Amino acid sequence: MNEDRSEARHEIALTVNGVERRAEVPARRLLSDCLRHDLGLTGTHVGCEHGVCGACTVLVGGVPMRSCLLLAVSMDGEQITTVEGLTGPDGKLSPVQQGFAECHGLQCGFCTPGFLTTITAGLADNPDPTPEQARELIGGNLCRCTGYQNIVAAVLRAAEIGRERATAPAGDSGSRTSSEHGSDRSLRS
Amino acid sequence: MKLAGEAILHAPLDRVWTALRDPAVLVATIPGCERLVATGPDSYDMTVTAGVASIKGSYAGTVSLTDLPEPHTFLMKASGAGGPGTVDADVRVSLTDTGEGTRLTYDADAAIGGVIGGVGQRMLIGVAKKMAGEFFSGVDDVLTGNRPLAAAGEQADSSAAPAGQDTAVAAGQHPGPAVFTAAGRGKPPARPATESFLAGAVFGAATALLGVLVGARTARASHNTRTARRMG
Amino acid sequence: MTTRMMGEPIRRVEDRRLLTGNGRYLDDLGADAVEVALVRSPHAHAKILDIDVTAALEVDGLLAIYTYDDLTGPLADPLPLLIPHPALTHGRTQYPLARDEVNYVGEAVAMVVAENRYLAEDAAERILVSYQVLPPVVGLDAARAAERLVHPDVPGNVAAHFVQESGDAAAAIAAAPHRLALDLEIQRSASTPLEGRGVLARWDTDAQRLRMWTSTQTSTGVRAAVAVKLGLDLGSVEVITPDVGGGFGVKIMHPWPEEVLVPMAARALGRPVKFTEDRREHFISSAHERGQQQHIEVGFDDQGRLLGLSLQFWHDNGAYIPYGLIVPIVTSTQVLGPYKPGAFRVEFESLYTNTVIVTPYRGAGRPQAVFAMERTMDAIACDLGLDRAEVRERNFIQPEEMPYDHGLVFQDGRPLIYDSGDFPASLAKLKKLVGWDEWAGYQARARAEGRKVGMGLACYVEGTGVGPYEGGHVQVETTGKVKVATGLTSQGQGHQTAFAQIVADELGVPMSDIEVVTGDTRRFPYAVGTFASRAAVMSGSAIALAARAARAKILKVAAEALEAEPGDLEIVEGQVRVKGSPGTEISLGTVAVLSNPLRYAFDEASKAATQFAVGHPDQAPVGEDDEPGIEGRDYYSPLQSTFANGMHAVIVETDPETAEIKILRYCVVHDCGTLINPMIVRGQVHGGVAQGVGGALYERMAYDESGQLQNASFMDFLMPYVSEMPAEIEIDHLETPSPLNPLGIKGAGEAGVIPSAAVFAAAISDAEGFELTSMPISPSELFELRSAHAAGRQEGDES
Repeated sequence: MNEDRSEARHEIALTVNGVERRAEVPARRLLSDCLRHDLGLTGTHVGCEHGVCGACTVLVGGVPMRSCLLLAVSMDGEQITTVEGLTGPDGKLSPVQQGFAECHGLQCGFCTPGFLTTITAGLADNPDPTPEQARELIGGNLCRCTGYQNIVAAVLRAAEIGRERATAPAGDSGSRTSSEHGSDRSLRS
Repeated sequence: MKLAGEAILHAPLDRVWTALRDPAVLVATIPGCERLVATGPDSYDMTVTAGVASIKGSYAGTVSLTDLPEPHTFLMKASGAGGPGTVDADVRVSLTDTGEGTRLTYDADAAIGGVIGGVGQRMLIGVAKKMAGEFFSGVDDVLTGNRPLAAAGEQADSSAAPAGQDTAVAAGQHPGPAVFTAAGRGKPPARPATESFLAGAVFGAATALLGVLVGARTARASHNTRTARRMG
Repeated sequence: MTTRMMGEPIRRVEDRRLLTGNGRYLDDLGADAVEVALVRSPHAHAKILDIDVTAALEVDGLLAIYTYDDLTGPLADPLPLLIPHPALTHGRTQYPLARDEVNYVGEAVAMVVAENRYLAEDAAERILVSYQVLPPVVGLDAARAAERLVHPDVPGNVAAHFVQESGDAAAAIAAAPHRLALDLEIQRSASTPLEGRGVLARWDTDAQRLRMWTSTQTSTGVRAAVAVKLGLDLGSVEVITPDVGGGFGVKIMHPWPEEVLVPMAARALGRPVKFTEDRREHFISSAHERGQQQHIEVGFDDQGRLLGLSLQFWHDNGAYIPYGLIVPIVTSTQVLGPYKPGAFRVEFESLYTNTVIVTPYRGAGRPQAVFAMERTMDAIACDLGLDRAEVRERNFIQPEEMPYDHGLVFQDGRPLIYDSGDFPASLAKLKKLVGWDEWAGYQARARAEGRKVGMGLACYVEGTGVGPYEGGHVQVETTGKVKVATGLTSQGQGHQTAFAQIVADELGVPMSDIEVVTGDTRRFPYAVGTFASRAAVMSGSAIALAARAARAKILKVAAEALEAEPGDLEIVEGQVRVKGSPGTEISLGTVAVLSNPLRYAFDEASKAATQFAVGHPDQAPVGEDDEPGIEGRDYYSPLQSTFANGMHAVIVETDPETAEIKILRYCVVHDCGTLINPMIVRGQVHGGVAQGVGGALYERMAYDESGQLQNASFMDFLMPYVSEMPAEIEIDHLETPSPLNPLGIKGAGEAGVIPSAAVFAAAISDAEGFELTSMPISPSELFELRSAHAAGRQEGDES
């Protein structure tokens, strides 16, 4: 193969779900492709490739961002949380994941990771949303299966679970408070 | 797979004919040709390295010529095999005087086997045509003095061209093989980017074999061997 | 007794995997695969003059480029016409790669394989295709005018001309005391699942076998098609459906060009090859639906009862018609809804246009059918000054008339006979749910406040669970775990949960011990597919039957071990026991061990089945009519479809100034027979309603006159976000079990979307005071209609 025709690669280091990862990527590599194909984190899905559907949403420094609109090289040194990082180290579902499971907030599951990350960040900002605020929170994500009814319910239920866990007795190893979601984006520590 | 094409060479027909019969020219200009060995009258072994995609690999081939009596036209039968697949080709070549230069036309019918047979006809043809273009422009450069043969000559492997070949090859008696190599050719840094890319594809194989066959026809002339020796 | 699972809102077993990022969708597979990109036609209609790949050769990582000339044997033939029909006299299908002509923007012309998708796209961009552009046929008006032809050998652009009638509709209408004619139109939309199409193929050079994964609604269909196209024995092809990110109909179409080209490339190159469709490709290269023009003539009596009904319509089938006439035939029969039409005649033409193909999209011709009938019902009510619900009630087929034979042939070639339903009861439920009787007062008060509010009502009947068959396999492992397989695929309907619920009840095992696999030809090679709301009906029934076969075997083996009569046994929580004596029991795992006489022991449990432990010296270890193991396999193949039904009402408010349309309430009454899991059924209805809202108010395919799809992205094709949905979808169920299958199930998957165009058109018409005849409708279109009607009224006043 002719080196002079190969794309230049750039080494990046980023913290994904609390784990430091390195990758060598061409400048044009999207964060979504880097996560999925270079780092093997296929939980993040790509639904439209232009930032409209929200399926690829990940948290960058705790802020929801569309990974299909970010270049991987621009993520050097960032803290990223993907859907894989929402689950507790013991396998316990996060309040948002649990809310979706209880409320039938997903069908085919393809858009779900983007909703989960978006809502995780949203509830960190506002742990007790009204139904109207819950709708607003998910207003930028597309779902073709559910008609959103149960996703709104899942947001409200997740907030409830977050509050329940926050007040759970100490020593409940599986619980994480919703404020932890807000302050500790690695979610693995 | 059928492949046809032509090239205009900026030299009189006789000089073209001579150049195409010069293995040293051929080994220097056939894309990816690393080694060219006369194995008998009108028959040669050669090694071509291809560097494109699924076609990438080293191919060992043989070439034999028929229909030689006809002036300025002949039929080459070539076959080659490498990791990615096999090539069997019949190539008819003819030269015509255009007054200002020489028109070379070739018409190939090739059977491709293995993975290279599966990469798509247009891609094979595209690669072959590009390599043919590269080959003929190389030959043309030699003819017009833009490519000094000495440079190519420096790359020939003298040890592989023992004395006595002169007679052997010229007479077609080949007591030992005449070997022509392009020692520096396979190293990408030594080659312009376009050439290094072109070198190779399948029909690097066919085109190269085409060139070889042209060379094989010409290798019977003693001065070719002399050239080779001089190059050594 | 074990708690009954059928009918319970059990949480889905799929969810944990999908919620933790551990789903496996097509593009999550094949990390080692090389990838393809397609060169697609930029023209709606053109001759291909030349394809020059020279510039592409410079792309590092390029592996292969295929064009039509590389297709050999059956691959060089047009793709299959999947569902032939006598009326489809001019069926045309495309080549996997265009041969010498392209007929829609997006038609595949060349396929590039490279080390990854980026490089494949680089190379695809550099392939220069020379075209001679031909004038395209875009839209039904152009197709009907036939001044230009899509296919030169198809006169009038007519793929099919179809007539079906019962009685003399023309005479009945002519003799009727009241007559009306309506001209209606519905525009194109599409399934647009969040995950597009995708294919991964691995060719095993040693075994000469193909294993492929595809995001499909029919793995067995793909398998058969690929075997034919690649010249392989069926047994040499395995097709696995991974997690599928939504289908909604578009993924029942097969084989897509890529589904034969990708395995072809994998075999040619000896490397795994993957195709992942991007969003623009999905818009221009998969399939659309819905586009129809309709002309209705109806005759009725003073009470609004139908005496004769004639529907003539024109169906836009796109550039090719691989899926046959299913969509227009569904329209032509399901137009009847819950009503007795009197004499009935339907006639349609299926027409070619230079646009992407048309195949079923959730509802599959029913939304158009319901639009035709329900707009007609509203027109009759308006004409006679009657209550809209009253007119419908007077035309209903009554419950005591079930089964009701329409004297017509349905889309499956079977008679159109409704098996069940209680339409008056459903309407009564809906009227109560939405407050129908209080509506006039509410509307009057709103009008007095200067508000424009309207209510729409629409009823439908949906043939579900079409044949030919599905099968199920149930196996009890020696661990006591139960493995269930069925051939049809899943795209988010929760089959792993619903089917496990059925098996849990049949076998008396906990849900956690049941594992369900769908859409894997290695596990169950006989199947049809997931479409037409048929999975629960067909595979649900087949799995129930298979579980019953397994249960019979369990009881037989256990009876021998427990020295009891099979009839005295019950299975509770995975234990077989003698009824009334809880101490005498044997686990399902042990039963499985005993069912398989062994020569070799490999653990403690299997010792019990070795030849020195069990069996009688005078009996063969495996009897003549017996088989080792606890397995049940059975098929469900009904004589005809089962007919679900539903009724929707919507209340909208339209802005007097901006004509913005707001949904105030959306109510659904739905009858899909016995509910397996009401939570899942509600979810299906929610999703269907959302697609209906999109189809009625937002989504359309905006082709320009040259055949370019101008809104081929989620930026411009307006799929509803949550902001477009009502805060609540109010649902009530009526359960009239189907007498046709063992569980009384009727399909539910498509229901929610079916009446949407009709119900929104009715509601907006009610709010505005003029009738809508074309859907979808945008605020700007409504604004223009208002202006036109206001001007018309003014003219009327002046003259």
